[in-house]
Amino acid sequence: MNQTSSIVRLQQVDKDYYLGKVVVPALRGIDLDIAAGEFTVIAGPSGSGKTTLLNLIGCVDVCTRGNVSVDGHDTAKLTERELTRLRLERLGFIFQSFNLVGVLDAFQNVEFPLLLQRKLNKAERRERVMDLLKAVGIDNHSHHRPNELSGGQRQRVAIARALVTQPRIVLADEPTANLDSATGNAIVDLMEKLNGEGTTFLFSTHDPRVVGRAGRVVRMVDGRIVPPGAETAAPQPLHA
Amino acid sequence: MILVHIALRNLLSHKVKSSIVGGLLVFGTILVVLGQSLLGSLDRSMSTSIVNSMSGHVQVYSKDAKDPLALFGGMGGGNEIGHIENFPKIRKAIEALPEVAAVVPMGIDQAIVFGGNILDVKLEQLRAAEKAKDRNRIRILRAHVRRIVGMLESELKNLKGFTDESRMSEDMRSGLRDLPQATSDTFWNSFDADPLSHLELLENKIAKLAIGEDMFFLRYIGTDTERFRKVFDRFEMVDGTPIPPGQRGFLFNKLTYEEQVKHKTARRLDKMKDRMAEGFAIAKDEELQQAIKLNRAQYKEITYQLDDDAADLVRVAMQTELGSKEPALEKLVDAFMNMDDANFARRYKVFYDAVAPNLRLYSIKVGDTMTINGMTQSGYSTSVNVKVYGTFRFRSLDRSALAGSANITDLMTYRDLFGFMTADKQAEIQQLQKASGVKAVTRENAEADLFGGSGGEEVTDTTGVTPTDAPADATPAAVAAGTPPPDNARTFAASLQQRVYSPTEIDGGIVRNAAIMLKPGADERKAIQEIKDINDRENLGLKVVDWREASGIVGQFVGVIYAVLATSILVIFIVALVIMNNSMVMATMERTREIGTMRAIGAQRSEILKMFIVEALVMAAVFGSIGCVLAGTVVTWLGQIGIVARNDFMIFLFAGPRLYPFLSLTHIVVAFFVVFLVTLISTLYPALLATRITPLAAMQDAE
Repeated sequence: MNQTSSIVRLQQVDKDYYLGKVVVPALRGIDLDIAAGEFTVIAGPSGSGKTTLLNLIGCVDVCTRGNVSVDGHDTAKLTERELTRLRLERLGFIFQSFNLVGVLDAFQNVEFPLLLQRKLNKAERRERVMDLLKAVGIDNHSHHRPNELSGGQRQRVAIARALVTQPRIVLADEPTANLDSATGNAIVDLMEKLNGEGTTFLFSTHDPRVVGRAGRVVRMVDGRIVPPGAETAAPQPLHA
Repeated sequence: MILVHIALRNLLSHKVKSSIVGGLLVFGTILVVLGQSLLGSLDRSMSTSIVNSMSGHVQVYSKDAKDPLALFGGMGGGNEIGHIENFPKIRKAIEALPEVAAVVPMGIDQAIVFGGNILDVKLEQLRAAEKAKDRNRIRILRAHVRRIVGMLESELKNLKGFTDESRMSEDMRSGLRDLPQATSDTFWNSFDADPLSHLELLENKIAKLAIGEDMFFLRYIGTDTERFRKVFDRFEMVDGTPIPPGQRGFLFNKLTYEEQVKHKTARRLDKMKDRMAEGFAIAKDEELQQAIKLNRAQYKEITYQLDDDAADLVRVAMQTELGSKEPALEKLVDAFMNMDDANFARRYKVFYDAVAPNLRLYSIKVGDTMTINGMTQSGYSTSVNVKVYGTFRFRSLDRSALAGSANITDLMTYRDLFGFMTADKQAEIQQLQKASGVKAVTRENAEADLFGGSGGEEVTDTTGVTPTDAPADATPAAVAAGTPPPDNARTFAASLQQRVYSPTEIDGGIVRNAAIMLKPGADERKAIQEIKDINDRENLGLKVVDWREASGIVGQFVGVIYAVLATSILVIFIVALVIMNNSMVMATMERTREIGTMRAIGAQRSEILKMFIVEALVMAAVFGSIGCVLAGTVVTWLGQIGIVARNDFMIFLFAGPRLYPFLSLTHIVVAFFVVFLVTLISTLYPALLATRITPLAAMQDAE
């Protein structure tokens, strides 16, 4: 039980959704530890619970049973405000459809979390943002608004935004799904490079080419984690 | 900063929403600014009209008043406004205030004046000529009277078939019985032998058949005429001279003089001329056609007034104008008055060049002494003779009926008419009593009658004026009934016209209200408070009202329009609120993912709320400014060209023929305040919705 070495720890986590009176189980008995510096992929078909798992880790949702601990905090015990604060300070998000604020340019989108944090002054913010834009190769497009950028460029901006607060872990939900494979590869290259510089990444995908490049793969089927070595086994139906 | 930036960017990117919401806000702002500016200007112009013509900034009247003071007439028409008995003290106390420029005593009342019918007038002239033995004048006047009686007979003959004689008054029947005699050759041939008995028959029997055409109501302000003239700068003499300081006298308002005293046909022609100058044409305008119809129907207004010589002159002038050989004057006048757009200007000139000089153009002329028949407070009729010194107008309000109905007389005449007995009146009564042997009610009894025995000592007699509303029994009534007063009374009345009253006498009697004029730039509200304070402190027994309240319904007019405007602005803004709320809810829905993303990457709910509020403020600022600039442009433009007054009432409201609106900072501030408020309220619900958006919304399309 080494709490300090793992950034994220899930123990016997269940998540149910309710469709009217019908209970729809989304996650069942999830145990997962993510250590600092890992480059982890959650792989599985659509509907296997990848996004639900990321939502729980991302403090955007809470589990029905079990225990989710992020950066040492039991998320079930935090208030709405504290969860928001945790997201701002400790987590970075990359979305499938980039989710940039359309009316802001690249620079302003990246700067936005820093403004919410209110820690850095203008010059410091500028330096941090420009460094990151350079790191993701977008520095000469800093004044373009999202609709003036290509999909790959937008995702680079989104990555810069996720990293700008220097989070403990960056969560990415299918970051390459809306990109062609060449661009997708470039984005994975970029994340690998950033991981090499110390950022912890956890991302979901069902793209086998991306899975192949991950340091660690967590396979999911029907809301459960498939134990390593059992990949070839037929998926067990949830409702036996 | 970033929030303002997002707000501005959002305004630009949501074009449909922005243009709907923006349009509403701009429209609302324009309405608020424009409405305020117009009403503000209206209030100012009305204040010019009312304050500087007769009300002053503040009016005071007795606190015991049963009715509110209404300078221009009120709703109920009540006139029970009490009276002020200690005016000198009030004046001294109030004029001592630093803001106050002057206090002018007043009393407003109505009376009836008989201009006398033309037969009366001519008979009076004939009697005077007989007395003076002016042969030539007697000849002309006699012929004229005979003409009138002749016309009267033929007119009544036509009437006979239609009217039931049994329903006529006794006067009428006896007149009709004597009419054949009065038209007979025998009557006129024997006239010279005994003119006085012939005149008596005409005066007592026949004159009653001619219905008195000139009776009119006069509204007048009894005041210290000299001070009135100096204090109210809108006052301006038109004809004649002001009433000499301290003397009795009457000044006609020029408009009243034209409307009431002028020859009716002439007045109608004047009004037609004015109306045609405004662009109306006889061919199309019903009002002008109506005037022509009246002029033709009332040909007698002209024919009765012409004696034989004058009738010849008029006949020739009309025949020339009409190119006709018609000998009958009635037919000529009828044809002449049947005017059209082409000949109006020429005939108007012919009328004034050839016809009017032969008419009694004004039934009362400047310099005449006229008899005003008033009704005293307690309902007895009185009459007072007063000299007409001239006519006046309130500058730039000359065409307004409201301002034009106020005539002016001195306080002494006013008090006589209203039944506050002046020393003069008492002396006159004593004279009459001596002459007629009538015993009047004693003063003591009269006072007890009115004041219940307690009022007598309140009124100090040092000024020589005693307020007594005593009916004075039969005496003044006898005067009113037209019994010729004895000669010594007549000389007494004449001597009154010459008398100069001292300021103490003028101020000393009873007045009903007083106008207080403030110094230029004085703070009206502060001054009213000071007057109220001094009223309480010195126990002056006054009710203090500002000019708006004092002027009755007219003064509250601005208040009424304000209420109407405020209501319509309110309705418009409520509609705007609903529409804005709707469109912003829609916009919020569209932005769900953006807001979810912000929440996911760490924005608190309060920050989302802040963002919406900032957006609302930015929107209000942008569209409020556009609205203010547009409204400002319109007001400035209107301020240069002016808004044209379309009728009498508007002239009065506008204090002239045009209203020049102005803009003040307050108007802008109020407009912004309203716009901000409305925008914030309409943002409230969508903002609340936005804060409920969860970070999950950012992920929704991920799977």
